[in-house]
Amino acid sequence: MEDMIQMDRAMSTQQDIKIRANGVQVYYGENHAIKDVSVEIQDKTVTAFIGPSGCGKSTFLRCINRMNDTIDICRVTGDIRIDDEDIYDPRVDPVQLRAKVGMVFQKPNPFPKSIYDNVAYGPKIHGLAASKADLDEIVEKALRRGAIWDEVKDRLHAPGTGLSGGQQQRLCIARAIATEPEVLLMDEPCSALDPIATAQVEELIDELRQNYSVVIVTHSMQQAARVSQRTAFFHLGNLVEYADTDKIFTNPEDPRTESYISGRIG
Amino acid sequence: MIRQVRVAQSGMAGDQMSNAMILLIVLGLGAVGYFLGRRRALAKVGGDPRGLHSLPRYYGANVAMNAVVPALVLLVGWLIIQPIVINSAVSGMIPESAVSEGSSISLLMSDVRRVADGLDAAVSQGVMTEAEALRLDEDAVKEALAGVGVALGADVTAETLAAAQRYREMAGTGNVLKAIVIIGAALIGFAVAFGRTTPDFRARNVVERGVMMVLIAAASIAILTTLGIVLSLIFNTVEFFRLYPASQFFFSLSWNPSFSGRGGGSELGILPLLWGTLYISFIALLVAVPIGLFAAIYLSEYASKSVRSVAKPLLELLAGIPTIVYGLFALLTVGPLLVQVFGDDGALGVDWMQGGTAVMTAGLVMGIMLIPFVSSLSDDIINAVPQAMRDGSLGLGATHSETVRQVILPAALPGIVGAILLAASRAIGETMIVVLGAGAAARLSMNPFDAMTTVTAKIVSQLTGDSDFASPEALVAFALGISLFVITLGLNVIAMMIVRKYREQYE
Ligand SMILES: Nc1ncnc2c1ncn2[C@@H]1O[C@H](COP(=O)(O)OP(=O)(O)OP(=O)(O)O)[C@@H](O)[C@H]1O
Ligand SMILES: [Mg+2]
Repeated sequence: MEDMIQMDRAMSTQQDIKIRANGVQVYYGENHAIKDVSVEIQDKTVTAFIGPSGCGKSTFLRCINRMNDTIDICRVTGDIRIDDEDIYDPRVDPVQLRAKVGMVFQKPNPFPKSIYDNVAYGPKIHGLAASKADLDEIVEKALRRGAIWDEVKDRLHAPGTGLSGGQQQRLCIARAIATEPEVLLMDEPCSALDPIATAQVEELIDELRQNYSVVIVTHSMQQAARVSQRTAFFHLGNLVEYADTDKIFTNPEDPRTESYISGRIG
Repeated sequence: MIRQVRVAQSGMAGDQMSNAMILLIVLGLGAVGYFLGRRRALAKVGGDPRGLHSLPRYYGANVAMNAVVPALVLLVGWLIIQPIVINSAVSGMIPESAVSEGSSISLLMSDVRRVADGLDAAVSQGVMTEAEALRLDEDAVKEALAGVGVALGADVTAETLAAAQRYREMAGTGNVLKAIVIIGAALIGFAVAFGRTTPDFRARNVVERGVMMVLIAAASIAILTTLGIVLSLIFNTVEFFRLYPASQFFFSLSWNPSFSGRGGGSELGILPLLWGTLYISFIALLVAVPIGLFAAIYLSEYASKSVRSVAKPLLELLAGIPTIVYGLFALLTVGPLLVQVFGDDGALGVDWMQGGTAVMTAGLVMGIMLIPFVSSLSDDIINAVPQAMRDGSLGLGATHSETVRQVILPAALPGIVGAILLAASRAIGETMIVVLGAGAAARLSMNPFDAMTTVTAKIVSQLTGDSDFASPEALVAFALGISLFVITLGLNVIAMMIVRKYREQYE
């Protein structure tokens, strides 16, 4: 038994590194939001980012698909590589990058279009479907994986904005996975969901792990413990501790991690 | 009509001193009331404001309000009603026989008022005493009044003079009564409110209600004036349709008013004018909508903060240019330029355009005028699309322009349509540019380089110059006005409905 766990550990550390960040600094004008963060995120793994509100989890997540480029005052320095390619290299097209690194936002943001068009948006833009039937299939598959197919299959052409908050969030998840990204960034995807939908999304995340690298920001310790293999704890813009999830929750090294997971800061 | 207005004005100037005095006295009473009311409230509780229901200043305001507001309302009412009462009393005095052929009682009354005002002026300038004025006989009147600068047309008849004397007498008593009643009302209001100033009196609530009343009054004045304008339009339009068949007005294909003879021979069809209006507006929108919209997209989506901070005010500056300046621009610059290109011996050698004034000229310039209107409204609407929409689209790997085309514009579309409809209603109502840029010929033609004219331009030309306001040629202006009003009102209502629906989407 002990041996098996050891082996499992060894295997997981040997896994490929998908994302390698080195000395990343982020400034919003004068505000230094991310301070010298270096982290290695493995392929086919769920990595959780935890930490108190305002510590920079979303900010760091947005560095990975260069969404921070859209904020005028935001400045990112340091080095982030995906598959050993520097994503901040001038030759890299952020638009291409974002097709490869999908994102689900903290607040559900369906487009004011039909449910079908919401999901078909990405595949259409990237030319993933050869025919209408193809597109239908992609949409259905994405909605099924987003755990919302049963609820919307009879009203695919109703507006996506007419769904409930939790349904909208699952629609956004379906929309993100319809483009078949290699990395999926999820910023508190379950904050608007009920326990049943949360369980469905967590199941989805676990399934996605077969093929993708998933990074999830969460405020729920239980969720981090349930779905992730690796956990990073952020505090005031610093990456305080990054290790296997079991270790973070059972035997943290840093006193700040310990007080956060036991509920004393945050 | 115009003469009457002038007389009424000079009549008011004569009373102005006393009206201003009454106003000053009432306001003075209000000011005194404020301080006395405040002092009395404080005195009742021994100088400790905590013993009062409201702050001391509310007791002062209550007294001031009671003194001033009813008195002012009375004053306004009096100023409106007194002339009406006197007029009807005096015109009752004039016998039917005194109204000569081709004249009317209202014309005679305006003579009466002129004589009365002239006599007032003579007395106040010291040319004659009051007693002399009363004894004046009809032969001397004309001379005497000419001496004080009041020229009378016809000879003054005995009846007119008698009526004028009666008019003066009634106005005199009326003015004295007015002063007494209004200052009395102010004093009564003052006294009542002052008497009610006790520590338990809820002055704050009463003042609150008073403030509300004043606001309601302001709102109702705005609404009532609009209503009044509409009613007068309708009234005059009905008058017009009594003189001219409505079916011809709406369906006749030609506009050809004659000014020589009264009525008869005029063709007053709205269709050619409406066609010109719509054609010019269409060209204007064709210019303004794409340019304005693209400018708005650039400014709200692509421009950096510094560019935006310079470009947006510059664009909005265009909206501040008076339309007459645009009209000059059309007449002196754009028209000749277009002739050089499309006219005889023009750059293209096509000879489509005969003169500088044309639908195209007015349409282009009006389009330029509308650009800032479209762009600033669209800019606001595009900015109202939540950032999360853009993030969602960009996060899926869409480019900036794909995001604009496929997410932002569809989301903003209802609002943009609303903005375009508002721009259209402005184009339809625009006057100066078409007067100067489009020409004066009413014609139904497809050629955009022909001179045409619009509803607004014709309203101007029907009412300027020597026209008889009772003729169908002049009254048609009201029918044109109300048609225009209905069209723009309809457009505005549709635009507002669309904009409101769009707002709900994000709230
Ligand atoms: N668009 C922005 N402009 C300026 N400052 C920002 C912006 N977004 C975030 N910040 C700042 O960066 C810091 C980190 O914010 P971030 O959103 O990354 O926190 P977070 O860890 O995701 O918090 P939460 O758990 O509440 O979502 C905060 O101090 C915040 O004020
Ligand atoms: Mg966040």
